[in-house]
Amino acid sequence: MPENISNFILLRNIRAKILQKRFLNCIESEFAEEFLELLLKLMSLVFFLNKDFKRNIENFNGRYLFKSKDNKITVAAVFRNNQMKVYEKAIDRTNITVTFRNSKALMDYLLSPKPDILGSILRQDVTIDGNLNHLYKFAYMSRHLQLMVTGEV
Amino acid sequence: MSAVTLQDISLKEYTFDNLSILKQLREKLLSEKPRVCIERARYYTEYLRDMSSDKESAEIRYANAAKYFLSRKAPLFFDDNLLAGTTTSKPFGAPVYPEWTGMTIWPELDTISTREKNPMILSKKEADELNFDINPYWMERNIIEYTRKKHNNPECMRILERIVFFIASKVGCISHTVPDYKVALDKGVEYIIEQAALNEAELKKDENLTKENRQKLEFYKAVQIAMQGVIKYAQNLGKKAAELAAKEHDPFRKENFQKMADVCDRVPAKPARTFREAINSIWIVQVAIHAENINMAMSPGRLDQILYKFYKEDIDKGILTVKEAMELAGCFWLKLNDNTNLVPETAEELWGGAGTVPAVTVGGVDENGEDAVNDLTYIMLRVTELLKTRDPSLNSRYHYEKNSEEYRDRLAEVIVNTKAVPAIHNDVAVINVLENQGTKLEHARDYAVIGCVELASAGRSYDASSSIMLNLVSVLELALNNGKRPVTGDEQIGPKTGDPSQFNSFEKFWEAFKNQSEWLIGKAIDLNEHFGHAYQEILPSPLLSAFFEGPMEKGKDLIFGGALYNSSGATHIGFADTADSLNAIEKAVFIDKKCTFNELLKALKADFEGYEKLHAYLVNKTPKYGTEDPIAKKNSHNLIRFLYDFYQSHTNYRGGKYRPGYWTMTNHAGQGKLSGALPNGRKAYQVFASGITPVSQAANDLSACLKAVGGLESLCIASGEALNLKYPSVEGEEDIKTFGQAVEAYLRYGGLHIQFNIMSYEDLIDAMNNPDKYPELLVRVSGYSAYFKDLNEAMKEEIITRTAYNIKNGKAVPFPEKHKSMLAFE
Repeated sequence: MPENISNFILLRNIRAKILQKRFLNCIESEFAEEFLELLLKLMSLVFFLNKDFKRNIENFNGRYLFKSKDNKITVAAVFRNNQMKVYEKAIDRTNITVTFRNSKALMDYLLSPKPDILGSILRQDVTIDGNLNHLYKFAYMSRHLQLMVTGEV
Repeated sequence: MSAVTLQDISLKEYTFDNLSILKQLREKLLSEKPRVCIERARYYTEYLRDMSSDKESAEIRYANAAKYFLSRKAPLFFDDNLLAGTTTSKPFGAPVYPEWTGMTIWPELDTISTREKNPMILSKKEADELNFDINPYWMERNIIEYTRKKHNNPECMRILERIVFFIASKVGCISHTVPDYKVALDKGVEYIIEQAALNEAELKKDENLTKENRQKLEFYKAVQIAMQGVIKYAQNLGKKAAELAAKEHDPFRKENFQKMADVCDRVPAKPARTFREAINSIWIVQVAIHAENINMAMSPGRLDQILYKFYKEDIDKGILTVKEAMELAGCFWLKLNDNTNLVPETAEELWGGAGTVPAVTVGGVDENGEDAVNDLTYIMLRVTELLKTRDPSLNSRYHYEKNSEEYRDRLAEVIVNTKAVPAIHNDVAVINVLENQGTKLEHARDYAVIGCVELASAGRSYDASSSIMLNLVSVLELALNNGKRPVTGDEQIGPKTGDPSQFNSFEKFWEAFKNQSEWLIGKAIDLNEHFGHAYQEILPSPLLSAFFEGPMEKGKDLIFGGALYNSSGATHIGFADTADSLNAIEKAVFIDKKCTFNELLKALKADFEGYEKLHAYLVNKTPKYGTEDPIAKKNSHNLIRFLYDFYQSHTNYRGGKYRPGYWTMTNHAGQGKLSGALPNGRKAYQVFASGITPVSQAANDLSACLKAVGGLESLCIASGEALNLKYPSVEGEEDIKTFGQAVEAYLRYGGLHIQFNIMSYEDLIDAMNNPDKYPELLVRVSGYSAYFKDLNEAMKEEIITRTAYNIKNGKAVPFPEKHKSMLAFE
């Protein structure tokens, strides 16, 4: 393997480890302000480093838009050509748009092993517009990533 | 002349001591953990993705997919059951149907085996197969996403996805029907193939087929293909049973395998000749129907009638004993329990605990209007009494002019002994309801119950009885808030019907309520129609259609209106809370003038904090549905009549009418937890009353309650109702007699359905706090049975707080003081 590629992968590995730790801290914290950013960055990196995880996006096309109710956060994730790209802006032609009250609400919605469904509906934590199967797939990948980080898979 | 020949209709001499096979099978069943079964999803996906072409019609594609799956479905024998055939590849399986709700467990593939509520075992290999191979194919192809795309995510779908207004059950299934098993028993599946082939040949004679006839041609071809799959599955079962018989050394098992091999060699391909062949034929067809349609409320119907001639012939010939018939019926009951629904954790939280609700109906009158209760009716009641399993949902029909008092009291006795089943349906009223809906009298008399409490002429009417589940309280809240709801915040959801504080009469509010109702029901109907057309385009049911009267004659799949009768059912959540709130508004604001509408709205917003005096007045002094108060009577009747008229003015995509009903499964608990305070004094986020049952603790006199509910215009409740009552204890023959008399009084008032839980408040509270002490406690929810331990907390609370009546004096038993905080008004 050429040295620059090897260094590149090494750097990504180091970065992944740092991100993993930050992600772990985040999902254990009460506010989880950086949750979405960390989730998408880590997901993107793990797709690069882990070929088993990458199988999830082989031949998968999907355009996701995540935005907070107060419009302070707008992030898009696009899956195309076996790759994931993240944009900090709105995109069009989305398969699904996920609007969330705050980062913690989104985190609970996607990852909580015992979601407070009634509370979530009452608080209007998350609203969905679009193809639910895309949400289910993304939630699966997020939870799988969470289990990888916590060493449960 | 009565067909009852049993000396003891209670069949008390038959117990688990001499029916040891049932005891052993039951214990095994109850110890099984549910497992996710991907077998069907694998073969359907494989066929549709890799082997079929879009050029084929949907009829042919789906028939081929059914045949492909049924031909490959593993012939499995997990225990010593006397019947061959299994719903899934697991002893207790939850099949994945990706066309419907199968995709919803995708997020849980890694965790479903260990989740807290109702875990289901799924291996990593199978989870990976779902994740990588099966689910990706269905991303745009399941019923909800196909419909969303086609209609550009319509408003009606976005309202559905708010969860708090209505549920459109077609997202998860149609199922909910009673197939015609008689055709399989009397003529056999080969006969169906022959008839379809003859009809196909006849149509082919015309060289210039019209579009309609081309569709018929496709239908008849599809039926033949699907039926070949059914026969192939039975043949595979027979072959496997013969192999196992050859290897088996245990004499009982060897003989049982050989008998099953012989049975499967014969049925369902050919007509059944014996009781055993008949009952196994029905089971194999039921399994095959679940290849095509999801396992939800696919109801076997009047088994004591369908099977009686086989039973009688065998008994007369001396080749069957009552004990053997009980064993076979019991084995069928246990087979109906071999599968469960695949439900994501979120849904478990909101609606958990339901079984697959295959309703079996017994008793009542025959097509000539004569007493149809026979020995098999009592055998099935005794089997139910012994097994006490969640499924089948046993429904008894009672005709107070034709059926005997002994039968009525035996029903009461079985309810007491099981603490929950069977439910009782009023033949006189139900037959009138169905006739009023255009069903021929002899067909109406041959009705059977679908799933919970819905009514169908067995094997003739395709009723999609669970099409809409509408939250009536959401309508009330929209009317109270000028088109908004507390749970959806400041968003304008419904039309602006005016600020109620400006209304100067109750009639103005009633108009606003009706306008919001019409708007919301209109949206629910729009969505149901979209889904109906989507089913016509991508999910026809040629296999199920073959087991119905109508489709074979018309050359038309059920989904295109092939059945003899068609309808769509719409049931309502929160009926009693809505009726009582209307009563409270009329009395408090406009008659007694205890408060202004504005004050009432403020009190609701504050969840009555600071409005304690008004709250006490609303709870204690306003009219309650379930009593004889004239205002309560007027408003409940008006509500029922208004909804009926509005639904009946709509025709569905199959040419049938919409029919309203009042049964709620567990939705009244979940939806209650999402609703604000109500004018009847119910506090925010408390459960609603179930079905058509009066609000818990609101109707204190049983006699008045039965009169009020029974007095509702049953013709307007065309899709059925669930009245849930509770006795803390029923002891001795006198109590049983009183029980039977109370039921009969209710039916004579005109009530359609009644069901009971026989448990005290204290026992149920203990069961909630100590689930391990009551692992098999069976309860009636709102139309079906469930194990109490499997219900979510809200549903447990609702069952606990239901009014319990003292059987001796008919008065409400006081709710335990120290647990009063559980009540919706506290």
